[in-house]
Amino acid sequence: MTPCTVTTGFFVLGRCGRPSVADCPRCRRRVCAEHADPQSGTCPECAAAQGYGSDDPHDPTWIVRYRRRHYEQAHASYQGGWTTYDDYDRGAFNPGDDWSYGSGDFGAGDDGGFVDS
Amino acid sequence: MKHRAAYFAFDRFPSAKGSAVHIAQMADELFDVFGGGLLGVLGGGDLPRYQREGTREIARFGERIPNLLDRVEAFSAWVAAHLAPHRETLEICHVRDPWGALPAVAAPGRGYRVVYEVNGLPSIEMGHTWPLASPRTLGKIRELELFCLERSDAIVVPSEVIGGNLRGLGVPAEKIHLVPNGAEVGPTPPRPPDAPDRYIVYVGALQPWQGLDVLLRAFVRLQDLPGLRLVICSSLPERRARTVRRLAERLGVAERIDWRFELPHADVAAWLAHAAVSVAPLTGCARNLDQGCAPLKVVESMAAGVPVVASDLPAVRELMTDGEHGRLVPADRPAELARAVRILLEYPEAAAALGARGRRRIEDDLTWARSRAALADLYRATACRADRPAIGGDTHVLA
Repeated sequence: MTPCTVTTGFFVLGRCGRPSVADCPRCRRRVCAEHADPQSGTCPECAAAQGYGSDDPHDPTWIVRYRRRHYEQAHASYQGGWTTYDDYDRGAFNPGDDWSYGSGDFGAGDDGGFVDS
Repeated sequence: MKHRAAYFAFDRFPSAKGSAVHIAQMADELFDVFGGGLLGVLGGGDLPRYQREGTREIARFGERIPNLLDRVEAFSAWVAAHLAPHRETLEICHVRDPWGALPAVAAPGRGYRVVYEVNGLPSIEMGHTWPLASPRTLGKIRELELFCLERSDAIVVPSEVIGGNLRGLGVPAEKIHLVPNGAEVGPTPPRPPDAPDRYIVYVGALQPWQGLDVLLRAFVRLQDLPGLRLVICSSLPERRARTVRRLAERLGVAERIDWRFELPHADVAAWLAHAAVSVAPLTGCARNLDQGCAPLKVVESMAAGVPVVASDLPAVRELMTDGEHGRLVPADRPAELARAVRILLEYPEAAAALGARGRRRIEDDLTWARSRAALADLYRATACRADRPAIGGDTHVLA
């Protein structure tokens, strides 16, 4: 029996673990009856991704496409400084090797959050 | 799946940080009120890009964009893309930073309300974490913050100090609502099996404004106390502790420190509950003084019934009273911090009484249930679309 590997939970995450009954047609992951989409049979992750039009978020053009669309929409109402960051502005935010500058990788602790409670 | 509510945060979720506890409580309440919703956060690591839990969806932004300004702009675009499918049904969009707020407030013809939760201002905080950022760049970020604050329908702050700061920036007082951080008061968890006999504890992240350097220098002054150890429960991974560890070695206290990294929240509660003293040595910097903060470590230490020694800052005074719920000492003064800890260690009965009163203070005034009820009232009062009547309810406007 191959268990369903869909991630479950909100604050504390786990794996579903129920017996799987099908392969997700998109990512080939084994999913249980509970987590397979009734119509398409996709896993919840693929089903949600399709809902946001991000069929393949690893496609490098994906973020460029959304960024351009966002700029076009937001420009209509705000022409402020946020779009005018130049190389000098950006240069201060390149990752360094010191912890306080960001470590330049994307592990669990490198979340980039601004403020902590 | 169409949602009536959405919550966006430029923060990894879930994680060991205090901000994740905060996001969990706030988003959970939002989704309870609106029967589900979309949570948009940072991902990475082994977190799935999307999750569905009943009527709730979690979407995680995981683009590996090294430059922070590039990354936050890409995040804004990603938020815009994730808001778009819900434009017709959305009633409330709760945001936590200007880059999440921008696409929410600037969406043309939006029919939903925006609640902007201000735990701090990147234009102040990034000056500490990114020392090469120029005043001109931080000024641009400030301009973005003001743009978003002005267009938000309600602003939530966890402390009066932050609310006062926003009023000073010209945000109308009637838009600012105080929803303090809370904690759960429950039975005392079992002692961690590897806990030393007697220890003081620090819980939280390791940024310069947390005052770990002050704590280590204070700990040097407590070396004569036999068997006393310092336990640091870092919410950041081990590689981010290099600077603090180097300082501990230089000061000769490294051997008496026990490090724990990225512990689950329940484990942190156990370390807190069995400590002799919990320390919050926040520094007297602009981030803590001008911007304000609402240190969850103080609230959670009080909830655990452990006596707290914290820096005497306005934001901390909102949470505890010196001599009643713990001890407040001048910020950035290792000798004062060490003296206060030493006295609590020498008078354990008095220390236990402080801890018990601190716990009662949380039970009476600062539970998550209380904060969530205030937030639910605010959501009900704020939410309305042109085609739907507003839902009534009381809100807590900051004076």
